[in-house]
Amino acid sequence: MENQGRKVAVVGMGGAFPTCADLNDFSEKLFSNKSLIRVWDEAVSFDKQVRSKVSGYITDAEMNLETIYSTIVANYPEVYVDLLNRIPTSNLATADMGSIWAMLATKEAIKMAGWSEKEVQSEGTGVIIGSGGCGHAILRPAWHHVFQLGGKSRSPGAHTVDRGMVYREAANVSCLIKNRGVVETIVSACATGLGNIGHAYRLIKFGAQDRVITGGVETTSIESLFGFDSMAVLSRGFAPEESSRPFDVNRNGFVCSFGAGLVCLEEYEMAKNRGAKILGVIDNYFNNSDGDGDMFYPSFGGQRRLWKGLLGDSGIRPDVVKVHGTSTPAGDPIELFSVVDVLGDSGYHISAPKSQFGHMLGAAGAVEFITAILMLQKQMVLPCLNANDLNAELENIQKSPDWNGPVEPMNSYRHLLPQQSFQKEVNTVACLNYGFGGTNSAMLVSKDVS
Amino acid sequence: MERQEIIDGLVEILRTVRTIDPQKLNNVTEETDFIADLNTPSTELINIAAKAEQKFDVEFDDDDIDDMGSKVKDIVDLVIKVKARA
Repeated sequence: MENQGRKVAVVGMGGAFPTCADLNDFSEKLFSNKSLIRVWDEAVSFDKQVRSKVSGYITDAEMNLETIYSTIVANYPEVYVDLLNRIPTSNLATADMGSIWAMLATKEAIKMAGWSEKEVQSEGTGVIIGSGGCGHAILRPAWHHVFQLGGKSRSPGAHTVDRGMVYREAANVSCLIKNRGVVETIVSACATGLGNIGHAYRLIKFGAQDRVITGGVETTSIESLFGFDSMAVLSRGFAPEESSRPFDVNRNGFVCSFGAGLVCLEEYEMAKNRGAKILGVIDNYFNNSDGDGDMFYPSFGGQRRLWKGLLGDSGIRPDVVKVHGTSTPAGDPIELFSVVDVLGDSGYHISAPKSQFGHMLGAAGAVEFITAILMLQKQMVLPCLNANDLNAELENIQKSPDWNGPVEPMNSYRHLLPQQSFQKEVNTVACLNYGFGGTNSAMLVSKDVS
Repeated sequence: MERQEIIDGLVEILRTVRTIDPQKLNNVTEETDFIADLNTPSTELINIAAKAEQKFDVEFDDDDIDDMGSKVKDIVDLVIKVKARA
């Protein structure tokens, strides 16, 4: 599906990243091949109730925030306090922790973009932000109080809806910046982050908006870890920094992580005319679904169609493929084979940022999109940490009589997967993310060449 | 329970509501209006009512809450009424 329309530039970035003070710290740690994954004391406190105890998590203190708990409802965060007074009290009152991260990231991204207050508050400015989970930290204690303890619905106060609803981050950001354009959330499981940026891109490309603050958020939540832990899809048995090991033969699951990534998108000519620094230009966004009726298992056919839709007859060939690369036994081979199927086995590299910070769920695609922009800026390729040994045997899927993808084992593509960051000319990065339900998302972003 | 005791307790509750300017809580009287004088967001009133139930060890009926006025004296009257009812 070829779509003609306006060009879309990336002009600002911001976020919340595990163990990182800010975006610069995040960038420095990533390109220094560091892992942001730690043993999570909260998971450890549940001992044998939970299998996986590592995460890329963010504490209140690390964000200079403090939780004030209710005196009526046990463990209920009545309100959060911003110890640095960055967010007005009236906005904090309606926000869960992830919404505060989103508001902080918004301020950072808009500052980088250089948008004026008049531009931000115009009808041409939209907010498109989503997260994968609901407001667990708000909803669990509030409704436990009602269901299990016989409390009244009013006991937690009146902010369970605004702080627990699906589009709470978008709503809170919009109330903070007072834009007058579109405010929406796109939710597509672990493709949410990129899906929101993709929707925002289309809004600008097709002329509905001139600028959009967009991305994904996944707030620290032990409930999220529990959910995936129950499926036995989380990594266990490795040191924290070695737990996320996409494509490695010994991988046994992903690392459940948290964070936020927001970007400012703007119609290209407008950005150029006001002298904005163009961090990247989005060439295309394409998304589809597997169509095989399987909720969980990835589809080679779906990803093959994804690539076809992404590249079309543009002639674009990415220098780096920023993969979803979760470190699950099922996901990694299919993704690697779908990349090789379309791009061959040379002339590009594969970067797997989840190897450094784990899987940020609804924030993953957005934070990883930021890593793609950083690769364009630094002219460096981020690594695939811990991909030490790749399977020398054929994958089971390759032994199927219906298989029509690459016929070599995964270790034939060892050279595509750097274990350390390195310098090279990076003009275009392809970003891939997938989610439960068979949803697939892909974006191409390039350096500004004009 | 004396009326001033209830007012003092209410001010303590109001000081936990971060959207209310603490400066405005220095001279609270029975005539102080939560909305007009203290700029309390209407969404916080239910929170204040719930905290008042806890602090004064009373349980408001749903009708009590629906009929409650927005002045300090309205909550004071209600607390006294509910205590008497008990």
